[in-house]
Amino acid sequence: MSENLERRRFLKCLGASSLIIAPLGCSSVEEEGESDQPHYTMVFDQNKCTGCGECKLACTTANNLPEGKSRLLLEQQSGGVVGEVCPHCGKTDCDCQRKYVRVSCQQCKNAPCVTVCPTGAAHRDEKTGIVTMDASKCAGCKYCIGACPYDARFINKETDVADNCDFCLNSKLSKGELPACVQACRYDALIFGDLNDPNSYVSKLLRVKDAVRMKPGFGTEPSLRYIPIVKLGV
Amino acid sequence: MDGSIEFTMGLSQGIAWPWPIAVYLFFAGISGGALSVALFIRFYKQQTENTAFLKAASLMSLVTISLGMLCLVLDLTNPLFFWRILVFYNLNSVMSIGVIALSAYIPLVALVTLFALEDEIRKFPALRFLLPVIAKLRGVRAPSEKVVLLLALSVCAYTGFLISALIRFPIINTSVLPALFVASGLSAGAAAAKMLAVGLFKEELHSSDMKVLHGIEWPIMAAEILFIFMLAMSLFTGNAGMQSAFTAFHSGTWASVFWIGIIGIGFVGPLLLNFATSKAFSHSAKALYMSGMCAVVGMMCLRLFIIYAGQNHGI
Ligand code: SF4
Ligand code: SF4
Repeated sequence: MSENLERRRFLKCLGASSLIIAPLGCSSVEEEGESDQPHYTMVFDQNKCTGCGECKLACTTANNLPEGKSRLLLEQQSGGVVGEVCPHCGKTDCDCQRKYVRVSCQQCKNAPCVTVCPTGAAHRDEKTGIVTMDASKCAGCKYCIGACPYDARFINKETDVADNCDFCLNSKLSKGELPACVQACRYDALIFGDLNDPNSYVSKLLRVKDAVRMKPGFGTEPSLRYIPIVKLGV
Repeated sequence: MDGSIEFTMGLSQGIAWPWPIAVYLFFAGISGGALSVALFIRFYKQQTENTAFLKAASLMSLVTISLGMLCLVLDLTNPLFFWRILVFYNLNSVMSIGVIALSAYIPLVALVTLFALEDEIRKFPALRFLLPVIAKLRGVRAPSEKVVLLLALSVCAYTGFLISALIRFPIINTSVLPALFVASGLSAGAAAAKMLAVGLFKEELHSSDMKVLHGIEWPIMAAEILFIFMLAMSLFTGNAGMQSAFTAFHSGTWASVFWIGIIGIGFVGPLLLNFATSKAFSHSAKALYMSGMCAVVGMMCLRLFIIYAGQNHGI
């Protein structure tokens, strides 16, 4: 009984407060630029990645980064499962390192680096919604580096300013090309496209494939999706 | 396993904010703390003269905030980019708001110091050119002291908000941090200004100002201990990431900094010096300097611990 009453009162309050809060909420959504904006997404398929590193090289060249530096890393992880026969070497106790994960800016919808940046150098591109950098504004305070929950930013030693993967927004996308890493991947481990377009390949792919996002607990709503290696026969 | 896929590497290679930031937080805390305490006493006792403690605190405040700014600028990847923070603003950013507060705070601290040190300025021929400025601005002294008190407290708190926005570090991303930084800023700032007042401005060891200071020192220190305890407990009882960050309190180099520096030197030191020694000693200038140094060293260790242990224990 009392529980019911409580609930009713709660709902009433909720209704009343939503009337007050809704307009506030709307006004903040508006500046995000609504549905005609694309939502660019990158999918990393762990099943296909061989760790060849072509994507890293392509990134370095495309974005004029200092030698050996690129906006992404490939973390090598052990492919073995404890107590099971390794599919690569046939031993139960191996140290085959056969699994790779792409480490790069996750293109958060709710990006801490953008919130935190005192100068607006780390910002969201108006047209595409991609998180990118205005190098001429960056003061090099490294606040964004500490704030990024994915540790996906770094200081470019040549320009002394912060840098992040922006899907090659200025180097490729603006010319109508795919990001350099996607072009370079010979194994189709990287798929890129607009998730707001139901006919795009990423949309279709994500409709049929299980994909996960990194550290969703931070509430940053990353745009990168990962298709993890699935162990069969467990 | 919770996540079917996870990465543990990062692109930044090393910690984003190294020791100069800890030193900056330390200086900003001393600056805000010293000035707040001095102005509290001034308003509370309705003083109109320039007391030795006010002189010491405002000078201390001006010098420390300037040194702090120097640390901040030198820690930029390229110090020549400093102007960009002053020209471009993002009001969602705690740092940007801090810059606005500091650009009002620093000139006001300079002004307040000018008023407080009028007699001293008179004594130095090289500084006499400042006297007409002081005379002209005398009318704004009272309001600027009120505003600067507010700003001083905000600067202390801001240093806490600044780093608590770093969500991936459980030790840093805590809501008690601003309160802790205000409390420790007040106690170390007061201790530093007290030493300067006695050493440079010949304040008597048992003047009425010093008695007031003695009265407020212990409650502030108790609050500080409480905040540290709250921080540790929230980590201890928190989720897996927070619990793993809790190890910073009992293992590794930073645990030693915590127990020796913060607890040992910062809290136990002054307590022993005051209550475990003979009255003759605990009331001497030597004891004042020693416990003052303890408070200051303890505060520096606290900032270092938060910055380093914090960034070393990310999720
Ligand atoms: S992953 Fe990091 S750098 Fe990329 S948008 Fe999110 S917070 Fe910013
Ligand atoms: S380092 Fe540059 S991009 Fe990052 S927060 Fe500072 S000013 Fe912004």
